[in-house]
Amino acid sequence: MEIQNPSILQVKDLKTYFYTTDGTVPAVDGVTFHLDEGETLAIVGESGCGKSVTALSIMRLIAPPGQVISGEVVFQGLDLLKQPDNSMYMIRGSQISMIFQEPMTSLNPVFTIGDQISEALIIHQNLSKEQALKRTVDLLKQVKIPEAEKRVESFPHELSGGMRQRVMIAMALACAPSLLIADEATTALDVTIQAQILELMKELRENLGLSIMLITHDLGVVAEMADRVVVMYVGKIVEEADVYTLFESPKHPYTQALLSSIPTLRTSRDHRLNVIEGSVPNLYRALPPGCRFAPRCPAVFDRCRQEEPPLIPVGRGQTARCWLYDPPGNSALAHPAAASSEKTTT
Amino acid sequence: MTQNGHVLLSVKDLVKYYPIHGGLLYRIVANVRAVDHVSFDIREGETFGLVGESGCGKTTTGRTILRLIEPTSGQVWFEGKDFSKLTGNELKKMRRDLQIIFQDPFGSLDPRLPVGAIIREGLDIHNIGSQSEREDRLHGIMKLVGLRPEYVSRYPHEFSGGQRQRIGIARALILNPKFVVADEPVSALDVSIQSQVLNLLNDLKRELKLTYLLIAHNLAVVKYISDRIGVMYLGKLVEIAPSDEIYARPLHPYTQALVAAIPEPNPTQRHKRPVLAGDLPSPVNPPPGCRFHTRCPIAKKEICAVTEPELREMTPGHTAACHAIGNWA
Repeated sequence: MEIQNPSILQVKDLKTYFYTTDGTVPAVDGVTFHLDEGETLAIVGESGCGKSVTALSIMRLIAPPGQVISGEVVFQGLDLLKQPDNSMYMIRGSQISMIFQEPMTSLNPVFTIGDQISEALIIHQNLSKEQALKRTVDLLKQVKIPEAEKRVESFPHELSGGMRQRVMIAMALACAPSLLIADEATTALDVTIQAQILELMKELRENLGLSIMLITHDLGVVAEMADRVVVMYVGKIVEEADVYTLFESPKHPYTQALLSSIPTLRTSRDHRLNVIEGSVPNLYRALPPGCRFAPRCPAVFDRCRQEEPPLIPVGRGQTARCWLYDPPGNSALAHPAAASSEKTTT
Repeated sequence: MTQNGHVLLSVKDLVKYYPIHGGLLYRIVANVRAVDHVSFDIREGETFGLVGESGCGKTTTGRTILRLIEPTSGQVWFEGKDFSKLTGNELKKMRRDLQIIFQDPFGSLDPRLPVGAIIREGLDIHNIGSQSEREDRLHGIMKLVGLRPEYVSRYPHEFSGGQRQRIGIARALILNPKFVVADEPVSALDVSIQSQVLNLLNDLKRELKLTYLLIAHNLAVVKYISDRIGVMYLGKLVEIAPSDEIYARPLHPYTQALVAAIPEPNPTQRHKRPVLAGDLPSPVNPPPGCRFHTRCPIAKKEICAVTEPELREMTPGHTAACHAIGNWA
């Protein structure tokens, strides 16, 4: 369809549902976004908002009872959701790589890290074992693991958490992917180690021209790394903006509340933290009609409880899923572009 | 106000070693030095924050103070008595005054007990009041922490993480303690729930005149809620200062690195940060001299690798353990 495509990745109306014995969970419910070449896009949200499921859906790693039920994931002109399993197998790890939160459980404890990194090189790049090992040492040097020649012989348990995450990054970069998905990659690490890994990722991004999709709940990490931000709440995107706009003038009440509820080093002790009342709705039960944030929203009004808002353009490159920004008298139909991906269920 | 309050709890030379056994005769071959000669005072009505990275001994310090873990040596003075030496009834009685809130709101509540029984267990154990008085107290404390008293007969799994943390707080407060250890009280919670719990902790402190020892790895959280902060590294306290001061003028190079490493939620503040090199050394075999010297950007070879620095007062109320900073601080 798209002939000229500046985006490396386009996700269109992605829906991933989990069919559990306790009911259907719409974990990702109509998500549309794009990632440009060389860009770092952050997907932020709290647990259960669907940010990780979005990433796994892109990688086609959703296992039953989960299922991608509709949408498109266009990566370099190719709809990944329509690819047969064996070509997906060749794309994963060579063109799109993913690093996970838990560097201990994502590594195989019974193989040396050298074996695990060379595996990708042998599979995807047809290297011989010796060539692969040589390249592995180079990769370990690139992620700044000291004594790389010796470390290839190490087992994961012999390394610290930060070193394991470096190994994961080396493995992800082994086949020079164009897209890196980092799912809470620094969450399990201590702050000083997190700072090391973030600096490393910035450096690699510049040197290798990587596009990065960064999934995190930490707004500090977002501010540090991202070019553009997508905020998710209960399976939907509620706001999208470039990073400066988002932190300077957040438009959606959820984004606003989130930003004012975190204490920073500059927060005075006499300042009372803003609170988002209530908690995230239970996805197993029927969601409230209208806006999903309405039950907790400080700015809620009648329309929010009846009609689900579309993503409404609120500024240059900024959209918010909130009726506050709907010009009075205009219905959702006044914004066909934003509303087209919506199938409002009331 | 709290700066001059009298000392409620005084930790003196607290040590906790975990022996590592090995060899044919299962002798002690080494020790994990989790807490290694730590001393500090907590004043009445104060929140004292303890920060540091994983493995620095902050949780062990908190638990050793309460004797949930028995200390290897050292003293914990509370109301004129050495709590670490008490036994029998005296210990049981004093335990009412020292309570703890745990990190994990999922693992720290018995899944087979209804919430009411979990919260009031302390009253039952210490045999306080009649049955109806206990019920009244239970309802009172549930309201105080923001739980609806109708929920008494529900089970922990029916609650969200934030509500579970409220249950843990109610349980800690039902005996009307004077001193509460809060061990990572918000780190398992979502961002939007964290602020609810932090505000609650602040409100309760004011209303009930509590004294907290707050243990957390998130320096921003600790700074927001604490009056004074102690920074730990590899089982040692390296710096103690009022919380505003520790952010504005950190003296110890480790504290400086810790403050610099925190990503601020403000994209205009992006900067290339001075990254601390290397990893945390093993607490089994900590470096000689200053434990931080292997990663320290200003370490002086002659002294830092040889002599262990003591906590020294650099400016009034601000102490740090460092050989290299004395000259200009």
